[in-house]
Amino acid sequence: MSIRTVLSYALLAVGSIVVAFPLLMALSYSLMSESQIATFPPPIVPVRPTLNNYADVLDTIPIGRYLLNSFVVSTAVVIGQLITASLAAYAFSFLVFRGRQILFFVFLSTLMIPWEATIIPNYMTIRTIGWLDTYQGLAVPFMATAFGTFLLRQAFLQIPRELWDAARIDGASSLRFFISTVIPLSRPILGTVAIYGFLSTYNQYFWPLLVTNQTLMRTTQVGIAQLRFEETLRFGLVMAGVVMVAVPTLALLVLGQRQLVRGLTAGAVKG
Amino acid sequence: MRKFLGLALALTMVTAACGGSAPGGGGDSSALAPAKDVAPAASITWWHAMSGVNGDAINKIVAGFNSSQSKIKVETVFQGNYDDLLAKLNTAIASNAAPALVQVYDIGQAYMRDSGQVVPMQAFIDRDKFSTSDFEPAVINYYKYQDKLQSMPFNSSSSMLYYNKDAFKEVGLDPNKPPVTFTEVADAAKKLTKKDASGATTRWGFGPSVYGWLFEQLMATSAALYADNGNGRDNRATKVVWNSAAGKAILDWWKAGVDGGYFFNPGIDNDGAANAFNAQKTAMYIESTARLRGHINTVAGKFEIGTGLYPRPDSKPKDGGNIIGGASLYIMKSRPAAEQQAAWEFVKYAMTPAVQGQWQSDTGYYPIVKAAYDTGPSKEWATKYPQFLTAVNQIRESPQNRMTNGAVLGVMPQARQRTQKMIESVLLGRETSQAALDAAVADMNKAIETYNKANP
Repeated sequence: MSIRTVLSYALLAVGSIVVAFPLLMALSYSLMSESQIATFPPPIVPVRPTLNNYADVLDTIPIGRYLLNSFVVSTAVVIGQLITASLAAYAFSFLVFRGRQILFFVFLSTLMIPWEATIIPNYMTIRTIGWLDTYQGLAVPFMATAFGTFLLRQAFLQIPRELWDAARIDGASSLRFFISTVIPLSRPILGTVAIYGFLSTYNQYFWPLLVTNQTLMRTTQVGIAQLRFEETLRFGLVMAGVVMVAVPTLALLVLGQRQLVRGLTAGAVKG
Repeated sequence: MRKFLGLALALTMVTAACGGSAPGGGGDSSALAPAKDVAPAASITWWHAMSGVNGDAINKIVAGFNSSQSKIKVETVFQGNYDDLLAKLNTAIASNAAPALVQVYDIGQAYMRDSGQVVPMQAFIDRDKFSTSDFEPAVINYYKYQDKLQSMPFNSSSSMLYYNKDAFKEVGLDPNKPPVTFTEVADAAKKLTKKDASGATTRWGFGPSVYGWLFEQLMATSAALYADNGNGRDNRATKVVWNSAAGKAILDWWKAGVDGGYFFNPGIDNDGAANAFNAQKTAMYIESTARLRGHINTVAGKFEIGTGLYPRPDSKPKDGGNIIGGASLYIMKSRPAAEQQAAWEFVKYAMTPAVQGQWQSDTGYYPIVKAAYDTGPSKEWATKYPQFLTAVNQIRESPQNRMTNGAVLGVMPQARQRTQKMIESVLLGRETSQAALDAAVADMNKAIETYNKANP
């Protein structure tokens, strides 16, 4: 191994420790009793690890149900976003029609509207259709994404025009070209949009709080808030909740990563 | 997250102010309770902000109520912390989806009143000639405007001094005689401060969080007003007045302690200050009486916890005392009369001594009716946590006047944040105490003027 490699690995190791530190601390605190956390200087590694905090989380909130809800909603949002964003991006990149450019910029300008400004109108709509306390109320408002559309359009523009021409010559319809060429070629970027959409939905707090009133329909982040007591903060308990909520997403990321890499290596046109 | 919610809250407030005035109109304080013969609704919803053990205690009360009679069923919904709940309430009001009963924190009091969305609790009390003579005066007075009760106090706590008895013994201080005045606290803190061989401090004598509520409490024990018009209780406050000699004395005392190295400054971090006390990094600190049980459980016998009166100026002004904090229950005007009636029935049940005694023992909040102290659960609590007696005596001994009733401002949350910034800038030496006080007062007066104009 050259010195260069050793150095870069050392650098990477330091970097990853810095990045992972908060997560590792959360894990470590979740295994400590409250009186152990309250020592000075603060301990890094639990002396006598305990699972009591995890048991307390299970006692305090229906975390399994919350995880299920979060997964259902996040998955629905991801599917919705992938469909709407990829179709819109396809139109903006391959189809030629009047006002395409203007429409695209109008589309993009919605990125500038802060999400907070739309809360009340969205809430009223959801309430009027009677979607409070439902999965569709939690998911549908987020099924279209300007950011994802933008990202996909940029990726689609990278697809060689020759492929489009070839497909047309072979008599493929727009839809056929979209499904059998554009989508397979864009797997990595679709993966990015999917993971981004999943995590941002999974981490939502205010919207799920707003549109749900039943414990059974609530999501993980609302659950974490329920672990924060008004008068005393139990660090260990909150951290145990955070770990339980974070582990499924981390697992998903690890699984998704292989998919992403595979997508990246699938080349199409040479030269 | 906080910032973000703050924004959401501000936005929803604007919307509520624009669109919410339809039923009844804004600022209508003459709202009446429904007629007495209105039959209560079969079910109502109650929004609360209590999680964990406190949330369980709430569900216990409701289960007790639901099984005590067959006409009304109360359903509870946890809506996040106090700020989240208020943000959600504002959104719900704008689209007419508010519940019949809501729990709102102490500093949301003026906002709730000015929203015109509430039936004042006094209307029900007067209609039914419901007796509040056994209610804790310090608690009930906090929720009065022009001597009328706006909401029913529910969970109440106050502030007190927590100290480490073992540390007191170690340095030769009397562990049964905690310091009371500013000078006494400073002197004790000097003795309690420990340094290691290299000169680094291993234990500070005193370590309060930079918390606006503590400043409000210090103003009250100094017998000084926080805002004009009787702390906003005789009439709506038009300006804040904490840039007085009393305000300056508080900041100078605090600053001298931090500069002298015997007060620890955890910054704007209430949990950090509590943790420093648990970890014996500080030997004394001031916080809510409701934290007592948490401290005892966390410290788990590693040292003995003592509680004492909240600090006050050396002159011990006789008009000074403690303000209570916590949250109260509001009956919403937008709900049908039958639901309001049902909510009132529940509120009356929640104020019975038996329920209050159980509530105290489950949560560590003050019982609101004095008779609750004679119930079994409350007595058990007193034996288990004798330190709580300090808290009870302290509010009992507080004279009741406008200073100790505490300030009510529509912009109280902002005022609290602004005082925190003010204290911090003094402690860090960015501003002199008087300049910081004046700047903060000027900022808040502008905010009050804007608020009062927007809510005529």
